[in-house]
Amino acid sequence: MAAYIAGDKAAFRELFQRYAPLLQRAMARDLRNAEEANDLVQQTFLHLHRSRLDFEPGRKLKPWIFTIALNLKREFFRRSKRRHETSLEDDRIAEPYEGPRGQERSDASRETARALATLPAEHREVIELHWFGGLSFPEVAEAVGSTVAAVKVRAHRGYVALRARLGDEVPDPEGLAPNKPSEGESH
Amino acid sequence: MDCSQVRDAFMSGKVLPKSEVQAHLDVCPHCAALFDNDAELGRSLAAQVAPALPFPEDLFGAIEASVGRETGLRAWLRSRPSTLRFQLLALCAVVLVGAGSMRYRPDLAAYPVARMVILLGAYFIAVLLALGKELSLAVRRGKVADYPALAAFGLGLPFLAAFAPATEASRLVGPQGALGCFLYGALFTLPLGILLWAFDRDDRPTLRTVCLSAAALGLSANLMLELHCPSGHPLHLLLGHASIGLAWLASWFVARRLSRA
Repeated sequence: MAAYIAGDKAAFRELFQRYAPLLQRAMARDLRNAEEANDLVQQTFLHLHRSRLDFEPGRKLKPWIFTIALNLKREFFRRSKRRHETSLEDDRIAEPYEGPRGQERSDASRETARALATLPAEHREVIELHWFGGLSFPEVAEAVGSTVAAVKVRAHRGYVALRARLGDEVPDPEGLAPNKPSEGESH
Repeated sequence: MDCSQVRDAFMSGKVLPKSEVQAHLDVCPHCAALFDNDAELGRSLAAQVAPALPFPEDLFGAIEASVGRETGLRAWLRSRPSTLRFQLLALCAVVLVGAGSMRYRPDLAAYPVARMVILLGAYFIAVLLALGKELSLAVRRGKVADYPALAAFGLGLPFLAAFAPATEASRLVGPQGALGCFLYGALFTLPLGILLWAFDRDDRPTLRTVCLSAAALGLSANLMLELHCPSGHPLHLLLGHASIGLAWLASWFVARRLSRA
Protein backbone atom coordinates (compact mmCIF):
# COMPACT_ATOMS: atom_id res chain seq x y z
CA MET A 1 0.00 0.00 0.00
CA ALA A 2 2.86 2.34 0.82
CA ALA A 3 4.27 1.72 -2.65
CA TYR A 4 0.91 2.51 -4.20
CA ILE A 5 0.54 5.73 -2.22
CA ALA A 6 4.02 6.65 -3.40
CA GLY A 7 2.79 6.31 -6.98
CA ASP A 8 3.85 2.78 -7.92
CA LYS A 9 1.13 1.67 -10.35
CA ALA A 10 2.31 -1.93 -10.34
CA ALA A 11 1.52 -2.02 -6.62
CA PHE A 12 -2.14 -1.41 -7.44
CA ARG A 13 -2.28 -4.55 -9.56
CA GLU A 14 -0.66 -6.48 -6.74
CA LEU A 15 -3.26 -5.15 -4.30
CA PHE A 16 -5.96 -6.22 -6.71
CA GLN A 17 -4.54 -9.70 -7.13
CA ARG A 18 -4.17 -10.14 -3.40
CA TYR A 19 -7.48 -8.79 -2.17
CA ALA A 20 -9.97 -8.93 -5.03
CA PRO A 21 -10.66 -12.69 -4.68
CA LEU A 22 -11.28 -12.31 -0.94
CA LEU A 23 -13.56 -9.35 -1.49
CA GLN A 24 -15.43 -11.04 -4.28
CA ARG A 25 -16.03 -14.12 -2.18
CA ALA A 26 -17.28 -12.02 0.71
CA MET A 27 -19.55 -9.97 -1.57
CA ALA A 28 -20.85 -12.90 -3.57
CA ARG A 29 -22.38 -14.60 -0.56
CA ASP A 30 -24.96 -11.86 -0.12
CA LEU A 31 -25.53 -10.79 -3.69
CA ARG A 32 -27.62 -12.41 -6.34
CA ASN A 33 -25.05 -12.62 -9.08
CA ALA A 34 -21.39 -12.33 -9.85
CA GLU A 35 -21.91 -9.13 -11.80
CA GLU A 36 -23.12 -7.27 -8.71
CA ALA A 37 -20.27 -8.71 -6.67
CA ASN A 38 -17.71 -7.66 -9.25
CA ASP A 39 -19.24 -4.20 -9.44
CA LEU A 40 -18.84 -3.78 -5.68
CA VAL A 41 -15.27 -5.07 -5.88
CA GLN A 42 -14.60 -2.42 -8.51
CA GLN A 43 -16.17 0.29 -6.34
CA THR A 44 -14.14 -0.89 -3.37
CA PHE A 45 -10.89 -0.37 -5.26
CA LEU A 46 -12.06 3.01 -6.54
CA HIS A 47 -12.80 4.09 -2.96
CA LEU A 48 -9.49 2.63 -1.87
CA HIS A 49 -7.86 4.95 -4.40
CA ARG A 50 -9.86 7.97 -3.20
CA SER A 51 -9.08 7.23 0.43
CA ARG A 52 -5.45 6.21 -0.04
CA LEU A 53 -4.06 9.25 1.75
CA ASP A 54 -6.08 8.34 4.83
CA PHE A 55 -4.30 5.03 5.18
CA GLU A 56 -1.91 5.10 8.09
CA PRO A 57 1.38 3.30 7.49
CA GLY A 58 1.73 0.46 9.93
CA ARG A 59 -1.94 -0.36 10.00
CA LYS A 60 -3.18 -3.60 8.53
CA LEU A 61 -4.58 -3.17 5.08
CA LYS A 62 -6.98 -6.10 4.96
CA PRO A 63 -9.43 -4.88 7.64
CA TRP A 64 -9.26 -1.39 6.15
CA ILE A 65 -10.25 -2.66 2.71
CA PHE A 66 -13.01 -4.77 4.20
CA THR A 67 -14.33 -1.73 6.06
CA ILE A 68 -14.67 0.09 2.75
CA ALA A 69 -16.26 -2.97 1.15
CA LEU A 70 -18.75 -3.50 3.99
CA ASN A 71 -19.87 0.10 3.85
CA LEU A 72 -20.33 -0.10 0.10
CA LYS A 73 -22.28 -3.32 0.46
CA ARG A 74 -24.59 -1.80 3.07
CA GLU A 75 -25.19 1.20 0.84
CA PHE A 76 -25.90 -1.12 -2.07
CA PHE A 77 -28.54 -2.95 -0.06
CA ARG A 78 -30.03 0.31 1.19
CA ARG A 79 -30.32 1.64 -2.34
CA SER A 80 -31.68 -1.52 -3.79
CA LYS A 81 -34.00 -1.85 -0.79
CA ARG A 82 -32.97 -5.44 -0.41
CA ARG A 83 -32.40 -7.13 2.87
CA HIS A 84 -28.86 -7.84 3.84
CA GLU A 85 -29.38 -11.50 3.98
CA THR A 86 -29.13 -14.43 1.69
CA SER A 87 -32.30 -15.70 0.14
CA LEU A 88 -33.17 -19.22 1.17
CA GLU A 89 -33.80 -19.96 -2.46
CA ASP A 90 -30.40 -18.70 -3.45
CA ASP A 91 -28.61 -20.80 -6.01
CA ARG A 92 -25.42 -20.87 -4.03
CA ILE A 93 -27.25 -22.48 -1.15
CA ALA A 94 -28.88 -24.97 -3.44
CA GLU A 95 -25.46 -25.97 -4.72
CA PRO A 96 -22.92 -25.48 -1.97
CA TYR A 97 -19.26 -26.08 -2.45
CA GLU A 98 -18.94 -29.80 -1.92
CA GLY A 99 -15.25 -30.30 -1.51
CA PRO A 100 -13.81 -33.76 -1.49
CA ARG A 101 -16.31 -35.31 0.91
CA GLY A 102 -19.11 -35.37 -1.59
CA GLN A 103 -22.87 -35.54 -1.26
CA GLU A 104 -22.99 -36.47 2.40
CA ARG A 105 -21.24 -33.29 3.25
CA SER A 106 -23.12 -31.25 0.68
CA ASP A 107 -26.41 -31.88 2.47
CA ALA A 108 -24.95 -30.69 5.73
CA SER A 109 -23.50 -27.66 3.97
CA ARG A 110 -26.88 -26.75 2.59
CA GLU A 111 -28.41 -26.95 6.03
CA THR A 112 -25.64 -24.86 7.48
CA ALA A 113 -26.02 -22.26 4.76
CA ARG A 114 -29.75 -22.01 5.42
CA ALA A 115 -29.17 -21.70 9.14
CA LEU A 116 -26.49 -19.09 8.56
CA ALA A 117 -28.85 -17.03 6.43
CA THR A 118 -31.35 -16.80 9.28
CA LEU A 119 -28.87 -15.37 11.79
CA PRO A 120 -29.16 -11.72 12.82
CA ALA A 121 -26.94 -9.60 10.59
CA GLU A 122 -24.54 -8.58 13.35
CA HIS A 123 -23.86 -12.21 14.24
CA ARG A 124 -23.67 -13.43 10.70
CA GLU A 125 -21.39 -10.59 9.65
CA VAL A 126 -18.55 -11.53 11.99
CA ILE A 127 -18.87 -15.22 11.21
CA GLU A 128 -18.77 -14.55 7.49
CA LEU A 129 -15.81 -12.19 7.73
CA HIS A 130 -13.93 -14.71 9.83
CA TRP A 131 -14.70 -17.75 7.75
CA PHE A 132 -15.25 -16.46 4.27
CA GLY A 133 -13.21 -13.28 4.34
CA GLY A 134 -10.30 -15.00 6.00
CA LEU A 135 -9.95 -12.31 8.67
CA SER A 136 -8.68 -13.07 12.14
CA PHE A 137 -10.84 -11.86 15.03
CA PRO A 138 -8.66 -8.79 15.65
CA GLU A 139 -8.99 -7.99 11.95
CA VAL A 140 -12.75 -8.56 12.05
CA ALA A 141 -12.96 -6.23 15.04
CA GLU A 142 -11.08 -3.54 13.14
CA ALA A 143 -13.22 -4.02 10.03
CA VAL A 144 -16.54 -3.69 11.84
CA GLY A 145 -15.37 -1.03 14.30
CA SER A 146 -15.70 -3.05 17.45
CA THR A 147 -13.53 -4.68 20.06
CA VAL A 148 -12.06 -8.15 19.77
CA ALA A 149 -14.00 -9.25 22.83
CA ALA A 150 -17.29 -7.94 21.44
CA VAL A 151 -16.65 -9.61 18.10
CA LYS A 152 -15.94 -12.91 19.81
CA VAL A 153 -19.14 -12.60 21.79
CA ARG A 154 -21.10 -11.93 18.61
CA ALA A 155 -19.46 -14.89 16.89
CA HIS A 156 -20.15 -17.11 19.89
CA ARG A 157 -23.81 -16.11 19.96
CA GLY A 158 -23.94 -16.80 16.25
CA TYR A 159 -22.46 -20.25 16.75
CA VAL A 160 -24.91 -21.01 19.55
CA ALA A 161 -27.80 -19.89 17.38
CA LEU A 162 -26.46 -21.92 14.47
CA ARG A 163 -26.25 -25.02 16.58
CA ALA A 164 -29.76 -24.42 17.85
CA ARG A 165 -31.10 -23.98 14.33
CA LEU A 166 -29.27 -27.05 13.16
CA GLY A 167 -30.66 -28.99 16.09
CA ASP A 168 -27.17 -30.09 17.07
CA GLU A 169 -27.23 -32.34 14.06
CA VAL A 170 -24.14 -31.02 12.46
CA PRO A 171 -22.27 -34.00 11.06
CA ASP A 172 -19.34 -35.13 13.10
CA PRO A 173 -16.83 -36.65 10.76
CA GLU A 174 -13.56 -37.77 12.25
CA GLY A 175 -12.12 -34.53 13.35
CA LEU A 176 -9.08 -32.47 13.55
CA ALA A 177 -10.12 -30.77 16.72
CA PRO A 178 -7.80 -31.78 19.48
CA ASN A 179 -10.08 -30.29 22.11
CA LYS A 180 -13.79 -29.93 21.95
CA PRO A 181 -14.68 -27.03 24.23
CA SER A 182 -17.75 -27.06 26.34
CA GLU A 183 -20.98 -25.52 25.07
CA GLY A 184 -20.61 -22.33 27.02
CA GLU A 185 -17.05 -21.61 26.09
CA SER A 186 -16.57 -18.35 24.31
CA HIS A 187 -15.19 -18.41 20.82
CA MET B 1 3.11 -27.45 9.80
CA ASP B 2 1.91 -23.99 8.86
CA CYS B 3 -1.39 -22.11 8.81
CA SER B 4 -2.24 -22.93 5.21
CA GLN B 5 -1.77 -26.67 5.77
CA VAL B 6 -3.95 -26.60 8.87
CA ARG B 7 -6.62 -24.45 7.29
CA ASP B 8 -6.70 -26.42 4.04
CA ALA B 9 -6.98 -29.67 5.93
CA PHE B 10 -9.70 -28.23 8.12
CA MET B 11 -11.71 -27.14 5.13
CA SER B 12 -11.20 -30.29 3.13
CA GLY B 13 -11.76 -32.67 6.02
CA LYS B 14 -8.33 -34.22 5.68
CA VAL B 15 -7.07 -35.80 8.88
CA LEU B 16 -3.73 -34.55 10.09
CA PRO B 17 -1.54 -35.91 12.87
CA LYS B 18 -3.17 -34.71 16.07
CA SER B 19 0.08 -33.91 17.84
CA GLU B 20 1.30 -31.73 15.01
CA VAL B 21 -2.00 -29.88 14.84
CA GLN B 22 -1.92 -29.31 18.58
CA ALA B 23 1.65 -28.03 18.40
CA HIS B 24 0.65 -25.52 15.74
CA LEU B 25 -2.47 -24.43 17.61
CA ASP B 26 -0.37 -23.75 20.69
CA VAL B 27 1.57 -21.06 18.83
CA CYS B 28 -0.98 -19.77 16.31
CA PRO B 29 -3.93 -17.83 17.73
CA HIS B 30 -5.60 -17.50 14.32
CA CYS B 31 -5.77 -21.22 13.70
CA ALA B 32 -6.60 -21.81 17.34
CA ALA B 33 -9.65 -19.61 16.84
CA LEU B 34 -10.75 -21.89 14.01
CA PHE B 35 -10.63 -24.85 16.32
CA ASP B 36 -11.80 -23.06 19.40
CA ASN B 37 -15.46 -23.67 18.75
CA ASP B 38 -17.05 -26.98 17.92
CA ALA B 39 -14.95 -28.44 15.17
CA GLU B 40 -17.85 -30.03 13.34
CA LEU B 41 -19.72 -26.74 13.16
CA GLY B 42 -16.53 -25.02 12.07
CA ARG B 43 -15.92 -27.58 9.37
CA SER B 44 -19.48 -27.22 8.20
CA LEU B 45 -18.95 -23.49 7.96
CA ALA B 46 -15.69 -24.03 6.17
CA ALA B 47 -17.54 -26.07 3.58
CA GLN B 48 -19.47 -22.91 2.75
CA VAL B 49 -16.29 -21.25 1.54
CA ALA B 50 -16.84 -21.25 -2.15
CA PRO B 51 -13.92 -20.91 -4.50
CA ALA B 52 -13.59 -17.45 -5.96
CA LEU B 53 -15.70 -16.89 -9.03
CA PRO B 54 -13.76 -16.20 -12.20
CA PHE B 55 -13.12 -12.52 -12.69
CA PRO B 56 -14.21 -10.92 -15.90
CA GLU B 57 -11.07 -10.41 -17.93
CA ASP B 58 -11.56 -6.70 -18.04
CA LEU B 59 -12.32 -6.14 -14.34
CA PHE B 60 -8.88 -4.87 -13.46
CA GLY B 61 -8.89 -2.81 -16.66
CA ALA B 62 -12.24 -1.31 -15.66
CA ILE B 63 -10.87 -0.45 -12.23
CA GLU B 64 -7.77 1.10 -13.74
CA ALA B 65 -9.94 3.10 -16.12
CA SER B 66 -12.17 4.38 -13.30
CA VAL B 67 -9.10 5.33 -11.30
CA GLY B 68 -7.68 6.99 -14.41
CA ARG B 69 -10.77 9.19 -14.62
CA GLU B 70 -10.01 10.56 -11.17
CA THR B 71 -8.56 13.80 -12.45
CA GLY B 72 -9.44 17.44 -11.95
CA LEU B 73 -10.17 19.62 -8.97
CA ARG B 74 -12.92 17.53 -7.41
CA ALA B 75 -10.90 14.33 -7.64
CA TRP B 76 -8.00 16.11 -5.97
CA LEU B 77 -10.20 17.57 -3.23
CA ARG B 78 -12.02 14.36 -2.40
CA SER B 79 -8.78 12.42 -2.15
CA ARG B 80 -7.27 14.76 0.46
CA PRO B 81 -6.83 13.22 3.91
CA SER B 82 -9.96 13.36 6.04
CA THR B 83 -8.29 15.51 8.68
CA LEU B 84 -7.45 18.14 6.09
CA ARG B 85 -10.93 18.01 4.58
CA PHE B 86 -12.44 18.49 8.03
CA GLN B 87 -10.16 21.44 8.76
CA LEU B 88 -10.97 23.09 5.44
CA LEU B 89 -14.70 22.67 5.99
CA ALA B 90 -14.50 24.03 9.52
CA LEU B 91 -12.47 26.99 8.26
CA CYS B 92 -14.99 27.60 5.49
CA ALA B 93 -17.86 27.52 8.00
CA VAL B 94 -16.08 29.96 10.32
CA VAL B 95 -15.27 32.37 7.46
CA LEU B 96 -18.83 32.26 6.12
CA VAL B 97 -20.41 32.74 9.53
CA GLY B 98 -17.98 35.57 10.22
CA ALA B 99 -18.70 37.24 6.90
CA GLY B 100 -22.45 36.77 7.19
CA SER B 101 -22.61 38.28 10.64
CA MET B 102 -20.46 41.30 9.87
CA ARG B 103 -23.54 43.37 10.49
CA TYR B 104 -24.14 42.44 14.09
CA ARG B 105 -27.61 42.51 15.47
CA PRO B 106 -28.33 45.95 16.95
CA ASP B 107 -29.31 44.57 20.32
CA LEU B 108 -26.14 42.51 20.73
CA ALA B 109 -24.82 44.60 23.60
CA ALA B 110 -28.06 44.15 25.53
CA TYR B 111 -28.54 40.52 24.68
CA PRO B 112 -28.14 37.96 27.50
CA VAL B 113 -24.57 36.72 27.28
CA ALA B 114 -25.37 33.31 28.75
CA ARG B 115 -28.04 32.62 26.14
CA MET B 116 -25.76 33.73 23.35
CA VAL B 117 -22.81 31.67 24.57
CA ILE B 118 -24.86 28.52 25.16
CA LEU B 119 -26.67 28.75 21.85
CA LEU B 120 -23.65 29.63 19.74
CA GLY B 121 -21.56 27.00 21.52
CA ALA B 122 -24.19 24.35 20.91
CA TYR B 123 -24.48 25.32 17.25
CA PHE B 124 -20.74 25.38 16.75
CA ILE B 125 -20.13 22.04 18.44
CA ALA B 126 -23.03 20.48 16.52
CA VAL B 127 -21.60 21.80 13.23
CA LEU B 128 -18.21 20.28 14.01
CA LEU B 129 -19.77 16.99 15.06
CA ALA B 130 -21.86 16.80 11.90
CA LEU B 131 -18.91 17.63 9.66
CA GLY B 132 -16.61 15.27 11.53
CA LYS B 133 -19.10 12.45 11.38
CA GLU B 134 -19.75 13.01 7.71
CA LEU B 135 -16.06 12.96 6.80
CA SER B 136 -14.93 10.24 9.13
CA LEU B 137 -13.80 6.99 7.68
CA ALA B 138 -15.51 5.38 10.62
CA VAL B 139 -16.48 1.85 10.06
CA ARG B 140 -20.14 1.09 9.76
CA ARG B 141 -20.72 4.50 8.21
CA GLY B 142 -23.46 2.91 6.18
CA LYS B 143 -25.18 1.45 9.20
CA VAL B 144 -28.46 3.29 9.58
CA ALA B 145 -28.34 3.41 13.37
CA ASP B 146 -25.02 5.20 13.25
CA TYR B 147 -25.98 8.78 12.42
CA PRO B 148 -29.72 9.61 12.68
CA ALA B 149 -29.46 10.86 16.27
CA LEU B 150 -26.78 13.38 15.34
CA ALA B 151 -28.60 14.43 12.16
CA ALA B 152 -31.89 14.80 14.07
CA PHE B 153 -30.14 16.82 16.77
CA GLY B 154 -28.50 19.07 14.19
CA LEU B 155 -31.71 19.64 12.28
CA GLY B 156 -33.86 19.94 15.40
CA LEU B 157 -31.68 22.19 17.56
CA PRO B 158 -32.67 25.43 15.75
CA PHE B 159 -36.34 24.55 16.26
CA LEU B 160 -35.79 24.14 19.99
CA ALA B 161 -33.78 27.35 20.08
CA ALA B 162 -36.75 29.24 18.63
CA PHE B 163 -38.52 28.75 21.93
CA ALA B 164 -35.53 29.48 24.13
CA PRO B 165 -35.84 32.51 26.44
CA ALA B 166 -35.09 35.76 24.63
CA THR B 167 -35.19 39.43 25.45
CA GLU B 168 -38.53 41.13 25.33
CA ALA B 169 -37.21 43.60 22.75
CA SER B 170 -36.24 40.85 20.35
CA ARG B 171 -39.63 39.19 20.77
CA LEU B 172 -41.33 42.43 19.87
CA VAL B 173 -39.51 42.71 16.55
CA GLY B 174 -42.16 40.46 15.10
CA PRO B 175 -42.27 37.68 12.54
CA GLN B 176 -41.73 39.84 9.47
CA GLY B 177 -38.55 39.45 7.43
CA ALA B 178 -38.46 35.67 7.75
CA LEU B 179 -38.07 35.16 4.02
CA GLY B 180 -35.13 37.57 3.89
CA CYS B 181 -33.38 35.71 6.71
CA PHE B 182 -34.07 32.38 5.03
CA LEU B 183 -32.56 33.52 1.72
CA TYR B 184 -29.63 35.23 3.48
CA GLY B 185 -28.81 32.10 5.47
CA ALA B 186 -29.26 29.74 2.55
CA LEU B 187 -27.11 31.89 0.26
CA PHE B 188 -24.26 32.21 2.73
CA THR B 189 -24.12 28.49 3.34
CA LEU B 190 -24.17 27.65 -0.36
CA PRO B 191 -20.33 27.68 -0.66
CA LEU B 192 -20.12 25.29 2.27
CA GLY B 193 -22.64 23.03 0.55
CA ILE B 194 -20.57 23.06 -2.64
CA LEU B 195 -17.43 22.21 -0.67
CA LEU B 196 -19.22 19.34 1.08
CA TRP B 197 -20.28 18.01 -2.32
CA ALA B 198 -16.74 18.34 -3.67
CA PHE B 199 -15.29 16.47 -0.70
CA ASP B 200 -17.78 13.60 -0.90
CA ARG B 201 -16.05 10.42 -2.03
CA ASP B 202 -19.25 8.74 -3.16
CA ASP B 203 -20.40 9.31 -6.70
CA ARG B 204 -23.96 9.55 -5.47
CA PRO B 205 -24.36 11.09 -2.01
CA THR B 206 -25.57 8.64 0.56
CA LEU B 207 -28.54 9.36 2.82
CA ARG B 208 -26.07 9.75 5.66
CA THR B 209 -24.10 12.37 3.75
CA VAL B 210 -27.24 14.27 2.83
CA CYS B 211 -28.67 14.29 6.36
CA LEU B 212 -25.43 15.27 8.07
CA SER B 213 -24.60 17.88 5.42
CA ALA B 214 -28.07 19.41 5.70
CA ALA B 215 -27.68 19.52 9.48
CA ALA B 216 -24.26 21.17 9.22
CA LEU B 217 -25.52 23.73 6.70
CA GLY B 218 -28.62 24.53 8.73
CA LEU B 219 -26.63 24.91 11.92
CA SER B 220 -24.06 27.13 10.22
CA ALA B 221 -26.83 29.36 8.87
CA ASN B 222 -28.44 29.59 12.31
CA LEU B 223 -25.12 30.36 13.92
CA MET B 224 -24.63 33.22 11.50
CA LEU B 225 -28.23 34.49 11.79
CA GLU B 226 -28.11 34.37 15.57
CA LEU B 227 -25.35 36.97 15.39
CA HIS B 228 -27.02 38.94 12.62
CA CYS B 229 -30.78 38.99 13.04
CA PRO B 230 -32.39 41.01 15.86
CA SER B 231 -35.68 39.12 15.81
CA GLY B 232 -36.46 36.74 18.63
CA HIS B 233 -40.02 36.11 17.56
CA PRO B 234 -40.64 32.34 17.54
CA LEU B 235 -42.50 32.36 14.21
CA HIS B 236 -39.72 34.32 12.55
CA LEU B 237 -37.10 31.96 13.96
CA LEU B 238 -39.01 28.89 12.87
CA LEU B 239 -39.74 30.07 9.34
CA GLY B 240 -36.65 32.12 8.59
CA HIS B 241 -33.89 30.38 10.54
CA ALA B 242 -34.69 26.86 11.69
CA SER B 243 -36.17 25.82 8.37
CA ILE B 244 -32.90 26.28 6.45
CA GLY B 245 -31.51 22.86 7.37
CA LEU B 246 -34.75 21.17 6.40
CA ALA B 247 -34.79 23.16 3.17
CA TRP B 248 -31.33 21.83 2.28
CA LEU B 249 -32.57 18.34 3.01
CA ALA B 250 -35.71 18.85 0.93
CA SER B 251 -33.74 20.33 -1.96
CA TRP B 252 -31.71 17.14 -2.20
CA PHE B 253 -34.83 14.99 -2.39
CA VAL B 254 -36.30 17.31 -5.05
CA ALA B 255 -33.04 17.24 -7.03
CA ARG B 256 -32.91 13.47 -6.86
CA ARG B 257 -36.51 13.17 -8.02
CA LEU B 258 -35.90 15.57 -10.89
CA SER B 259 -32.73 13.75 -11.93
CA ARG B 260 -34.65 10.45 -12.01
CA ALA B 261 -37.44 12.02 -14.03
